Amino acid sequence: MNDPVMNQRTTSEAVESTTVENRAGVVDSRMLWRISTIAQNAFREAVRDRVLYNLVLFVLLLTAGAIFLGELSGGQEAKIIVDLGLSSILLFGVFIAIFVGIGLVHKEIERRTIYAILSKPIGRGEFLLGKYLGLCLTLLVNVFVMGAGVSLALLYVKHGWDPLVLSIWPAILLIYLELAILTAVALLFSTFSSPALSALLTFFVFVAGHFSGDLKTFAESLGGTAARWFFTIIYYLVPNLSNYSLITPAAHGYAPGAPALLLALLYAAIYSSVLLAAGALIFNRRNFK
Amino acid sequence: MTGQLNPKPITTSPSRVRSAALYLVILLGIASVVSVSNWIDARRKAPTVESTEEQLYLKAPTVKRLSLAFNGLAADWYWMRSLQYVGRKSLNYQKTHSGQMSLSDLGELDLSILPVLLRVSTTLDPQFMAPYEYGAMILPTFNDEEAVALLKYGIEQNPDQWRLYQHLGYIYWQRHDYQKAGELYLTGAKLKDAPRWLEEMGARMSLEGGSRMGARQMYQHLYEESNDNWVKQTLLRRLLQVDSLEQRDLIRRVLGEYSTRFKRCPSSWKDISAALMALRFRIDATSGAPLDPAGTPYLLGKDGCEVELDPRSQVPYR
Repeated sequence: MNDPVMNQRTTSEAVESTTVENRAGVVDSRMLWRISTIAQNAFREAVRDRVLYNLVLFVLLLTAGAIFLGELSGGQEAKIIVDLGLSSILLFGVFIAIFVGIGLVHKEIERRTIYAILSKPIGRGEFLLGKYLGLCLTLLVNVFVMGAGVSLALLYVKHGWDPLVLSIWPAILLIYLELAILTAVALLFSTFSSPALSALLTFFVFVAGHFSGDLKTFAESLGGTAARWFFTIIYYLVPNLSNYSLITPAAHGYAPGAPALLLALLYAAIYSSVLLAAGALIFNRRNFK
Repeated sequence: MTGQLNPKPITTSPSRVRSAALYLVILLGIASVVSVSNWIDARRKAPTVESTEEQLYLKAPTVKRLSLAFNGLAADWYWMRSLQYVGRKSLNYQKTHSGQMSLSDLGELDLSILPVLLRVSTTLDPQFMAPYEYGAMILPTFNDEEAVALLKYGIEQNPDQWRLYQHLGYIYWQRHDYQKAGELYLTGAKLKDAPRWLEEMGARMSLEGGSRMGARQMYQHLYEESNDNWVKQTLLRRLLQVDSLEQRDLIRRVLGEYSTRFKRCPSSWKDISAALMALRFRIDATSGAPLDPAGTPYLLGKDGCEVELDPRSQVPYR
């Protein structure tokens, strides 16, 4: 099912059906439809590429954890299941965001299906946004199923209901938002760089994003104005991913309030929009000849 | 189908030979790797405690930075390492000393890395209560300064957790600093959700200090609050110890009355078993010796003038 010709047919046919009306003049009203078609196709492609197979590995990990941790943890099974489960969601998600994210554009260029798609009256920005939303949908399914797995594992280790079963979900939402930002980063790099370099750069951003709090402290501690400005700018440029690290508090039953979640959502939406816009700018100038 | 009169001779095609050779290389290779690894392991010097510590444990704040978003998981890992470290040392001790290990033997285990492990675990996840509780129980047996430092750090990070005041108070109580222990209990009692008995314990601690009643209450409450099986077992044995101390006081009184009456100490337990039964002691059917709270008969020491714990008993000596 990974036949490039099949992929070309599905993507370009889907786009074709939505662009007929564009020629007739109904342009803007159908833009969302075109983006959603590309997104659905990107999701289907990820499923065909067996990306969701990682769920099997995750289930095995959690099952083993739930069975063996009772022996090793000295009565801390529930905390460790939450730490292990949510950390795995983040780790698996980061791998998907990086390795699938960098291939979203590159694969289309390599298979030359990009020519068929872009020959239709479809904007390059729309193409990029559709691809991004498709991977976000894949990640959403992935994160949701894994989150449900953690809740079930908690029910198992606690032999019944525990407040943690529900209170971990805000932390899971934050993990998802972090992955959405990281996907936008991967997509941006993939518009102008090779897959290997894009993967490396995205991973650096993931690591730096968790240190960005330190960057601010470092900038404040510096004496020189220029250096302070430089590190302050870096602090604002690099996504502050520590805003989304609530795995450890979640294991103690702490759930962030609605305002904190809304702010995190807003930050993710703005930051991803900026990255996608930058990606679209670069992608628009790219010559495929 | 016509039968083939001359069946095909078994031939070994070059590709089969190549495959067989490759399989052979794989099998021999694996076998060689195992042998060479064992050879290298045998030649390697056993690491000293210090070098193990240097190799395995970075400073706690460094570990926290390197763990990125996975600090909770890293804290769990260090926590489980702490449990395994103590468990492994206990097993080795039991192998070399034949028999059950008592609480008083914990100090002989050389648990020098344990404070580091617990400190890393709590630095990675300061809200993780289990390492504080474990540290309060086990660290005072060999390094009570580390125990105090760990609990003080815990209180600094979680000033609203009354249990940490209870644990720190317990450490000071073990050091016979009853005034300080009482103050900590009273401070903890003022916190939200603190149970009422904490205030009562604080007052009793300041007044009665090391009384047995105070000790019993202390162990009883710690036992009820703990979720850790090992800690519960430890406290249960401490409760047995308090019971045994009270029993031995009673037995000494009976021994004293006997020697006053007969001008000599009893020659065997049977001489005083009736008096002990009257005091509701459980008596061993064969020797007539009273049983300690763990069910092991007491021993008659000093020519029958003193009661002693059997070293095999589950009741701790100290």
